[in-house]
Amino acid sequence: MSGIVCAIRGGPTSKPTISRAIALAKETKKVLHFLYIVNLDFLAYTESSRVRVIKEEMHEMGDFIVLAAQEKAENQGVEAQGAVRDGTVAEGIIEFSQEIEADYVVLGSPRAEHEENVFTRERFESFVAMVEKESGAKVVLSEIERS
Amino acid sequence: MKPIVRNSLLSLLVIIFSFSVFVVTSQVEAQDTIQQAYLVGLIEDHQSEPIVGADVILQDADSGEDLAATETESDGRFALPIPPQIPAAMSVQIERAHFENVEMRLQVSSIEHLERGESLTLSRVTLERKITPAFWVAAMVFLVVLVLIATGLFHNTLATLIGVTLVFGFSYLGSLVDDGLFIFDFERSLQYVDWNVIFLIMGMMIVIAVVEDTGIFQWLAFVAYRLSQGRAYVLLPILMLFTGVASAFLDNVTTMLLMTPITVQIALAMGINPLALLIPEVMASNVIGVSTLVGTPTNILIGSFAEISFNDFLINLTPGVLIAFAGLVVYSALIYRQDLRDADKPSEMLMERLAERGKIEDAENLKKAGIVFAGMIVLFVLGEQFHLLPAVTALMGATTLLVWIRPDIEAMIEAVDWTTLVFFLALFITVGAIQEVGLISIIAGVVGRLVGESIVLAMIGITVFSAVLSTVIANIPFTAAMLPVVAFLSRTVPGAESKMLFYCLSVGSAMGGNGSLIGASANMVTAGIADSAGYPISYGYFLKKGFPALLITVALALIWLLIHFL
Repeated sequence: MSGIVCAIRGGPTSKPTISRAIALAKETKKVLHFLYIVNLDFLAYTESSRVRVIKEEMHEMGDFIVLAAQEKAENQGVEAQGAVRDGTVAEGIIEFSQEIEADYVVLGSPRAEHEENVFTRERFESFVAMVEKESGAKVVLSEIERS
Repeated sequence: MKPIVRNSLLSLLVIIFSFSVFVVTSQVEAQDTIQQAYLVGLIEDHQSEPIVGADVILQDADSGEDLAATETESDGRFALPIPPQIPAAMSVQIERAHFENVEMRLQVSSIEHLERGESLTLSRVTLERKITPAFWVAAMVFLVVLVLIATGLFHNTLATLIGVTLVFGFSYLGSLVDDGLFIFDFERSLQYVDWNVIFLIMGMMIVIAVVEDTGIFQWLAFVAYRLSQGRAYVLLPILMLFTGVASAFLDNVTTMLLMTPITVQIALAMGINPLALLIPEVMASNVIGVSTLVGTPTNILIGSFAEISFNDFLINLTPGVLIAFAGLVVYSALIYRQDLRDADKPSEMLMERLAERGKIEDAENLKKAGIVFAGMIVLFVLGEQFHLLPAVTALMGATTLLVWIRPDIEAMIEAVDWTTLVFFLALFITVGAIQEVGLISIIAGVVGRLVGESIVLAMIGITVFSAVLSTVIANIPFTAAMLPVVAFLSRTVPGAESKMLFYCLSVGSAMGGNGSLIGASANMVTAGIADSAGYPISYGYFLKKGFPALLITVALALIWLLIHFL
């Protein structure tokens, strides 16, 4: 298996990433894989012990976000698949890229410097190098869009 | 003699002997009761609050020898048994930590009264508060707990446990160095724990754990979409209403944890910014949650403390909440009008997916849960007629569900937020510490002087004060600390006897959660899930949308309370 991994988070900031991935899939004729990582760090804000139920709901939401991206790709004639994984964003992308032996990984740009579950600018460059090294895939960055 | 006859005779002798002992003992006790004289009385603080656990010691005034001793009960009353030998002069010594000691010499006529074997009632004794080092320690500990919770430096439960550890550390170890550091002992601290609250929350947690697995929330969200026929401006109030009603019976955090992901999906399918639905939803959750006894933890605290029943909340608060909700719907439709207009024609593929998700996953269990839940509501409503506590109803409902549905018991036990229960236990003790040393009493006195005898000022003051403070500090510890203050005002402000000030506290502390992102846990989890979907909610964004909502809803609810009670 091979193809393009496009890690998405949903929302307006993912739009350039999705567009770039679709364009790349058209260029290379490779299968596009949209990837959503479920991260439950926000549960630290509450005493909720309902991790199982919440995880299921977040998976469903991730599936839906990925499905919306797939629909967009298919409307443009690009074959796209979707995957939802748990854990941290960085590890999830590397593991999935290794799993499908990806040729390309399309990433968005760092969104905010202070958030723990997305890349800081300092970590981003080393992360790109690490993905390329560990997966053998080439990392393609979408246009930087600051919100 | 045959063994059977011997045993029968032996048994008969034992019975006769036992009966004789019983009769003799009863007679002696009866004689004692007749002859025993008591010195009885009532001890209060200067706010007419009964003082519990005060040592009352009867002494020989000449030799200083202790003749009898007792402690005041929960109502501040004591009954001191008078010894048979009565000296010529006697005094009563009253001692209580955090109060000045009082010594009263009994008059000759009183002693003669006691000598005749008649009981004597003392006049009410008022003890004056004493500011000890423990006062400052307890105040600082409570402040530290509030700061730890507000800054998120520690988990809420850990923050309150740190508070409890400090309180006991100073009480037991600190008092070895300086007696003045003693706040209270373990036994006394447990008297501040409201077990009704603990068991009510636990029972409701089990009920919620059963209900949430049935897919009811996802179904409700999809029903809202179908009812709206894809019109965003119709969908908005329906979703707000469904979320609010769910929050009135279940806890707000669970409701939003389950409603947010499905709402995001509906919004994405319709091409709407999900925040245009999520922010109004969480605000509706915070507003309508106030309408019932079990809707918010603050209402549970208030209801248990002030003995306000499920019906009382429905009668006195629900109409005001519905008025506030109407205002919130109009406000939400206005601020998100552009986003609602931007709705696209829904994607067929995505809508098909939503329709699959919007099905009841476990109809059988939902039916059972519905029957039990309806029974619980009936008992909540009728329970006060036969003194059935809401906590008992919740536990009965939870147990019935567990027996009838037979879910995985370990999963159910895991579903109980034990950390929340520990949080409440530790919170009661931490707040109990500031009550014990008199801080709450001082605050109550200051607030009492500020509002004077004006019930209107008291109602407005409590509502606004609690709403504003709840935007920046955790509303549960705040409410727990405010309860004795409001109780004091309810006794001292003319016209406040019907507990209206407690409803003001309920409105302010819960609706105040809309004022900022950190004002309510439901806001934080909604923001967390929205962020995971790529729609971050910043502190500033929530403040901009939420604070005007706070002003509108609190004002409308307050107007209702003023009209209803005055």
